[in-house]
Amino acid sequence: MRTRRKKSREDYFMDVFNYFLLSIITLVTLYPFYFVLVASFNDGIDTANGGLYLWPREFTLDNYKYFLQEAKWTVALGVTTLRTVVGTFLGVLFTSLVAYGLSKSDLIFRKFYFILVVIAMNVSGGLIAYYVVLNGIGLINSFGVYVIPTMLNLFFLLIAVSFFREIPAELGESARMDGASELTIFLKIILPISLPLLATMTLFIGASQWNSWVDSAYFVQFDHLRTVSYRMMEVINQTMLPTDSQTAQYTAQLQVTQFSVQMTALVISVFPIICVYPFLQKYFVKGMMLGSVKG
Amino acid sequence: MKTNTEENSGLSPRSMLQHEKFSRRFRKQLSFQLFVWLGMSFLLIFSFTPMFGVIMAFKDYNITSGIQGIFTSPWIGLKHFEQLINDYNFPTLVRNTLTLSILKLVFSFPIPIIFAIMLNEVRHSLTKRIVQTASYLPHFISWVVVAGIAHAFFSTETGVVNSLLMSMNIIDQPLAILTNPDSFFGLAVGTAIWKEAGWWTIIFLASIAGIDPGLYEAAEIDGAGRLRRIWHITLPGMKGSIVVVLILSIGSMLGGGLVGSNFEQALLFGNTLNSDTSQIIQTYAFNVGLTQGRFAFAAAVDLVQSVISVILILSSNYISRKVSGAGLY
Repeated sequence: MRTRRKKSREDYFMDVFNYFLLSIITLVTLYPFYFVLVASFNDGIDTANGGLYLWPREFTLDNYKYFLQEAKWTVALGVTTLRTVVGTFLGVLFTSLVAYGLSKSDLIFRKFYFILVVIAMNVSGGLIAYYVVLNGIGLINSFGVYVIPTMLNLFFLLIAVSFFREIPAELGESARMDGASELTIFLKIILPISLPLLATMTLFIGASQWNSWVDSAYFVQFDHLRTVSYRMMEVINQTMLPTDSQTAQYTAQLQVTQFSVQMTALVISVFPIICVYPFLQKYFVKGMMLGSVKG
Repeated sequence: MKTNTEENSGLSPRSMLQHEKFSRRFRKQLSFQLFVWLGMSFLLIFSFTPMFGVIMAFKDYNITSGIQGIFTSPWIGLKHFEQLINDYNFPTLVRNTLTLSILKLVFSFPIPIIFAIMLNEVRHSLTKRIVQTASYLPHFISWVVVAGIAHAFFSTETGVVNSLLMSMNIIDQPLAILTNPDSFFGLAVGTAIWKEAGWWTIIFLASIAGIDPGLYEAAEIDGAGRLRRIWHITLPGMKGSIVVVLILSIGSMLGGGLVGSNFEQALLFGNTLNSDTSQIIQTYAFNVGLTQGRFAFAAAVDLVQSVISVILILSSNYISRKVSGAGLY
């Protein structure tokens, strides 16, 4: 290593400028999350007076109590949790199974299959034709519309193919000699050594399942199938226009407003993501780079 | 010459051998083929059927006739397209869609590049990690949450920004950022950058990491300062990934590029007060199709957008092949 030279003037000014700008960027990124948290623990009617910035002025748990009492929100939370678990499981398993098939080195018609995938990635018939198809196969107004059309994730299909290709073919050979089926080899041998890939896929597919709202808004009409994100969208749409936004909801004991409940919903919706995020970060950075180099 | 006649004679021993080899090979990899066919049938249902389904844009289609109805209903030519072009909304829709797409591309594209260079200049690794972790986070939350946060910050009554500016006497009337048609594009572009710009630095940081450190040392010995090193080494080293991300962004521009879906943004930030600028082709198609039940007309609207998108993808890929020799397909 060469000895560290004294910083030049340019170095010094650049560092000051750089760190200053990066601090502002970090603040602008994180403060909104913090504010939402503060507002969810503050008395709703007090929040409406404005001037709430750094900590709860009148600390209360009323917003959370209200949230957990209201059937509309608890049902939505249940539906969202279920679709996230089922949808992620199906998505990760199906996508990697298809990718395993495509990763076979001397696969016949391989080029043709890849052309189909690339076309499907780039061309779409639009949402209306998609709706007509979903309607035709009976998925509209059913839970299936959340977890079935999302089973094959084309972006991760390509990433998984390049991942499986790195696995030496001999790995399954001894099991194959013993007469194990390819499905068994895939489940028992290939998947267990593909944890980084599975973790990345789980995070991304899980987050998109958890966050999804367009399907809930337009592909189902029943209240018992609405997701948390859809319910939030509903509240936001009501309160975006100034005429409605002051309508406070008073319940017998709880002092909450539409706004304070909405902030609570935001916290509850972001919370699981923030919890798993730090543990999976190293995986998804690797996964993205795999995608960017190979894809 | 001998081999030639053999191959031409159809049932020569050699081609029979090849045929046998092919079917044996195929049987040997049958499980793999089955896995792939599962995926391809999925694509057939959820991607290719809708793709062929757009022919209903040229038909008198009724939703009650189901999927078969797409193929059996009578042709009516370009009637839906004529209707669309004569629609009093049409010029506004096209203008809004293009403005939103172009503004998002122009303003959001350079930011991850600059941000990656800034991060790369940070020597303190813990600081770097904290800033990175923070900046990727918004990528994982939904547009609904972003809209909720925007509401908390920009609403005229309780919005943090408005109440802060008012208490500092910078403004005396709250700014109607969420409802003013003039601020919709700014709101959409700003939230798109907030949500996604940090995320795309991952790719640029990866390409910076691939630059030979020897180049920096040599430049330093030659007396190049930090800015000149960035300009002459870091930026040229990122060229490949910049081109790739630019092609991807231009190709998907009408959908919102790489910084979040135009459709979701327009639905969430759009309202009756700012619909002059927030109504785009996709939201219009959706409203007309699903709330008014005019499916075939809405499919025509979708088709216009899909065709422009495919042209954008192919031409940006073509241009990049010509200019830099690197294309995606």
